[in-house]
Amino acid sequence: MSVLRPFKASDMFKFNNVNLDIWTETYNIGFYLHYLSRWPDLCCVQEAPSGRMMGYVIGKAEGQAAEWHGHVTAITVAPEYRRLSLARKMMSLLELVSDETYRGYFVDLYVRCNNLIAIEMYEGMGYSVYRRVREYYGNLGVGKGGRDEEDAFDMRKPLSRDSARRSVRSNGRDIIVSAHDVS
Amino acid sequence: MSVALDRQIRPIYDALDTGSHKSAITECNKVLKKHPRNALVKALKALALVRYQKVEEALVLCDEVLESKPTDDSTLNAMMHVLRGLGRHKDMVTMYDAAYKKQPTNEELGAQTFFANVRANNWKSAQQVASKMYKQFQEDRYLYWSVMSSVLQANDPNTPAEMRSLLYKLALRLITSAPTPSSVHSDRFYLHLTILRELLEYDEAMTVLETPAGRNICETNLTCNEMRRDIMKLRRAIEVEGKRAEQRILEKSDRNWLEFLSVIDGTFAPFTDSEDAKEQRISRISSTSALFTEVSVQDGRKDRSGLLGLLELESRARNHDVSTDPKRLLHLLQQYFEIFGDKACCFEDLKPYLSLEGEDLAAWTETLTTSFTALTTIEAVRRVVNAHKLLRYNLSTSELSLDAESSRANLYMSQYLEGLPLGKSLPATELQHVDDLAILAGNVLVNMWEMSKDDKYLHRAVFFLEYALAKSKQAFQMRLMLIRIYRILGAPSSALEHYRLLRVKQVQNDTLSHFLLSRCSTFSLASSGDLTYISECLESSQIYVSNSQETNDYIIRAFSAEKYSQIPQFIIFEEWLENSLQRDITKLEYLRMRLTHEPISSDIVDLELIELKFIFDRSHHDNRDFQILPNYQPKHAQDFNDQTLLFGKSERHGWVRSFLKSYIKVFSQASDLSDVVEEKLLVGDRPQVSPKSGSLKQRLAQRNEEELAELTSNESSLIAFVDSLAGWLEPFHDYVRPPASVVLADVAKNTELKTGLPLRGVDLTPQNGDTKKEEEMPPITDAPEIVAAYFDDMKTQFKNSLTTASLSEVLHVVTLTQEAFLLFVTETMRFKPASVVKIHKLGNLVAKFKTIRVSAITVLKDMAASLEKLSAQEGTSERKQELVDACEFESSEIDHDIIVATARKITDSRKKVAEGIAKGLLKICTTYAQ
Repeated sequence: MSVLRPFKASDMFKFNNVNLDIWTETYNIGFYLHYLSRWPDLCCVQEAPSGRMMGYVIGKAEGQAAEWHGHVTAITVAPEYRRLSLARKMMSLLELVSDETYRGYFVDLYVRCNNLIAIEMYEGMGYSVYRRVREYYGNLGVGKGGRDEEDAFDMRKPLSRDSARRSVRSNGRDIIVSAHDVS
Repeated sequence: MSVALDRQIRPIYDALDTGSHKSAITECNKVLKKHPRNALVKALKALALVRYQKVEEALVLCDEVLESKPTDDSTLNAMMHVLRGLGRHKDMVTMYDAAYKKQPTNEELGAQTFFANVRANNWKSAQQVASKMYKQFQEDRYLYWSVMSSVLQANDPNTPAEMRSLLYKLALRLITSAPTPSSVHSDRFYLHLTILRELLEYDEAMTVLETPAGRNICETNLTCNEMRRDIMKLRRAIEVEGKRAEQRILEKSDRNWLEFLSVIDGTFAPFTDSEDAKEQRISRISSTSALFTEVSVQDGRKDRSGLLGLLELESRARNHDVSTDPKRLLHLLQQYFEIFGDKACCFEDLKPYLSLEGEDLAAWTETLTTSFTALTTIEAVRRVVNAHKLLRYNLSTSELSLDAESSRANLYMSQYLEGLPLGKSLPATELQHVDDLAILAGNVLVNMWEMSKDDKYLHRAVFFLEYALAKSKQAFQMRLMLIRIYRILGAPSSALEHYRLLRVKQVQNDTLSHFLLSRCSTFSLASSGDLTYISECLESSQIYVSNSQETNDYIIRAFSAEKYSQIPQFIIFEEWLENSLQRDITKLEYLRMRLTHEPISSDIVDLELIELKFIFDRSHHDNRDFQILPNYQPKHAQDFNDQTLLFGKSERHGWVRSFLKSYIKVFSQASDLSDVVEEKLLVGDRPQVSPKSGSLKQRLAQRNEEELAELTSNESSLIAFVDSLAGWLEPFHDYVRPPASVVLADVAKNTELKTGLPLRGVDLTPQNGDTKKEEEMPPITDAPEIVAAYFDDMKTQFKNSLTTASLSEVLHVVTLTQEAFLLFVTETMRFKPASVVKIHKLGNLVAKFKTIRVSAITVLKDMAASLEKLSAQEGTSERKQELVDACEFESSEIDHDIIVATARKITDSRKKVAEGIAKGLLKICTTYAQ
C-alpha cells in the first residue's frame, strides 16, 4: 500500500532517504532528466501517505525489431519500506506500460548474481535468467563476494506480444557474455 | 570550404574535443594567418578562449563573428557554444534569427532558432518561430511547440495576469486546429488537458477524457491519470470519482492509496439536499467501511490499504462529528498494531491517528506496554521498536522529567544490546535490526540535554551512537544525528568525518550540505591557512554550475521528444536549484571565510560585490532536506531537528537577506564600481528579476523584524555594528570615490594592456574642464556609540560565554567579533593611502579609526589568549577521562575502547579548532595592525 505516482524532476530534492542507502547510486542530474525527457511513463515513485518517498523505478524502452523491450535501469526501495511488495508493484506498472504503450516483446533487468533474495523475487514475478554478464558491476569495495558480486544476470520476462516466448530460454544461466557485448 | 582548409580545421576540433584548449588556440592562429577573415575559425578560437578562461579576448572575436551574421551550420554551432559559455543567450537568439531569416526553408535552422529562444526563456518569440515552422513544414510537432510556448509564456511570472487567459485561449485554439486529435500521443493529450483545466473548461476536458483513446491513456499513463484526478476534483465530481475508485479496488485489486483516498473523499462529498444529511452520511460511511473491511480481510497481512483506509475513514468521521462508535478508533489502532506491528513503517502509518485521550489513551498505552516480549526474533524487535515509538509520541509533558527520560534511555539501550546478537551474521553492508533502538536512545539523550543544558547527555548520546554505528556501518541516520551533536559540542572535525562518509554527491549537495555548511565559518580555520571548509563550499557549489549548463539541454530534448508534461517540471527544477537558498547560504559562508584568508583588496571587493548584487535579486527556494533526520520526540516536545540546530536557529531567507544587505552595503562603499561603471563593463544576460520596489540603496536600508528574528543575538549585534558603521562613513566614501569616467578610463587602459585591443562600448572622450567635485567635504563626526562600544561589548559576551556556554557558542562570539573587525578594515580601506588623507584633509577621521582599531585588536588578542588556554585544557588526559567518566553506562557490554577513542576524538577536535582559531586571530591582528 502506497501512493503510486510519476517520478518528477523535483523528486531529486526528496529522494535522500532512498538514495543514502549504500546500494542506491545518486547519478548526475542529467541522468534523471535524460530518462524523464524520453520515457517519463517508465519512471515512477512509491510514496507513503505521509509524503515520504518509499522507492522508485527508472526504466527505458530500447532495442531493434524482436529485441524491442522495456528495461529496468534502476529500482530501489528505502530500507524502512522493504518487505511491503513495493518493488513488485513498480515492476508490474513498468511491465504494463512496456506492453501496452511501447508494445515491447519483453522486459529485462540486471541483478547481481549474489543477490539471491532479488533473483528469487524476480523469478516469482515471472522473470528468468537469459544470460550471465561478466564484470557488469563495479566492485563496491566490499569484495568478498568474488565473481558472483561483479557478474550480473540479465533476467527477462516475455510480454503479450511475445506469445511464443522467444525472448527467454531455459539454459540462460549457462550462457556467459562479457559486459561490452550487452551495453 | 576547400578541402585544404577543411584539413587544417580538423586539428582544431580534435584539440577542442580533447580539452587541449591552448593547442586549439595555436591551431586557430595558424589558420587565421592565411585566412584572417574566416568566421568559423574565429568562432572556434573564441570557443577555445572561453574554455581557456580568456574571456576578454573571446569577447572581441565573438563580437566580430556576430557582426558578420554567419549562416553556415558549423560556424553557428561553434558560436552557440561560445555564447552559451558566456551566458549570452540573447545574442544567440539574434544570431539564429538572422540566419533563419536568410534561409527560411532550412528546417534545422528553424529548430535551432526555436531552441535558442527556449534557452533564453523567450517564450513569445519561441511561439512565433514555431508557428512559422508549422506553416512552412506542416509538421504537427511544430504546432505543439507553439502551443507549449504559449502555455509557458502564460506561466511566466513576468506575464501580466490579464494576458494569461488570452494566451491559454490562443493555445486552445491552436490545439483544436490540429489535423489529428491530441489523444494520439499521451504528452500532447496531457498538454491539451492542462489548457482545458486552466480555462476551467472541465466539461470539455471530461469529453476528451471519456473518449476510448483518452481512457486508454489514463489507464497506463500515471501523469495523465494524475491530471484526470485533478480535473475530477476541480469539477466537484468527487462522488463519481469515488465510485470509479471503488470499482478499481474491487475489480482490478488496485491498491494505490490514491484510490482509497478517492473512495473516502467520495464518502464525504457534500450533499445537495441537507435534510437528513447526517443519516445519509452515516450510511455512506458504513458502506465504505464494509468495502474496506472486505479488502482488509481479503489481503490479510499482504497489504495495509484496507485497515489504513478504515483508520482514515474513522478519523474523518470524527472530524465531521458523525462517528458512531467512540471506541472504534482505539479498536482499529489496536487491530493495526496487532497485524502490522512488525512492519518497520507501522509507527509512521499510525502517527496521524494518535489523537486518543483519557480512557482510550490509557487502554492504547496498555496494549503497547503489554506487547513487550523477549527480543528473540526480528519480528519481536520491530514490534518493540514500534511500541516504543508509539508510546513516546503520546507522552505528556508531565511524563517527561529528567528521571523518567533517563530510565527510558536505559531501557532502549539495554534492549538494543539484548537484540543485537540477532544480526550477528549480517554482512557489513546491511543495517542492524536494532538500529532504531539506538536512534531512540539518541533522541531521548538529546531531549535530556535540551531540558538540562548539561553537555554530559550529548556526550552519552555520542558514545552510544558511535558504538551502534560501528555495528551498523551504513546507518546514515545515526551519522546525521552525530554530525549535529558534534557541531554543538564544538568538535567540527568529527562532524566532517561523518559527513564525508555519507558520500553526498550531485544534487544531494544542495539538499544535504546544510548539515556541514550551516554557519561553518564558526569552525573555519581559513584564517590560519586551513582551507577545508572553503573547498567544501566550492565543491558543493559545483552542482549549481552543472544545473545552469545542463538542465536547459534537457528542456530542449524534451521538446524534441515531445514530452510536454516534463517541460514545466524541468523548468521548476532548474529554477529551484538556480535560486536555491542553500546555494547562497554556502556562498555567504564562503565569502565570510575568504575574507579571513585572503588579504582584503579592491579586486575581491569588486568581484564579490557584483555577485552579491545578483544574489540579492533572487527569490530563493529552500530545498534543504531536514526530514531526513529521524525524529522520535513526543508530540509536545520540540523535534530532533530543531533541538540540534547549531545555536538553535536555522538560516532562512531572513538570515540570507540580513547578511547580504550588510556585505553589499560595506562592499559598495568600499568599491569604486558605481552602477554606471558596472552597467558599462558587464557583458552577457542579466538575471531576470521581477520589478522590485525602490532603489537598491533603499532596499539595503530596510531591516525588518521578521528577517532579524532569524539571527542569533550575536549575529544581530554584528548587523547593528555594520549598519551603524556604514551610516557613519557613507558621506566620506561618496566624497572621496573617484567619478565613473575616471574609473572607466582606468579599466580601459588595463584591458588594452592585457589584450592589445581597446575596450568596446566605453566612450572615453575626455570631459571638458575640471572633474573636481563641487560638493562640500562632509563634517567629520565621532564614531556612533554602537561602533565605538562594539568590541568591548563583545569582550563581555566572550567572558560570559566562557563560563556558561559550550565551545561552539564561544567560537560563535569570537568569529563574529573577528568578522566585525574585517568588515571595519574593508570599510576603512579607501582612507588608507596617505595621499587620499592629505588631499581630502581626512586626518581627523583617520585618527578616530585608529582608536577603534586599537581597541578591536586588544579584544581579539585577549580572545586568542583565552582560546589557547582552552585548547591546552582540552588536550589533557584528565579532560578525556572526565568525558569517559561522565557517560555512566551501566552495561559493561559497550565496548570501552570505542568510548575512549570517541572521547579522544572529541577532545582532539575541540583542541584543534580552538587552537586554530586563536592562531588565525593573531595573524589577522598582525596583518591589519596598521
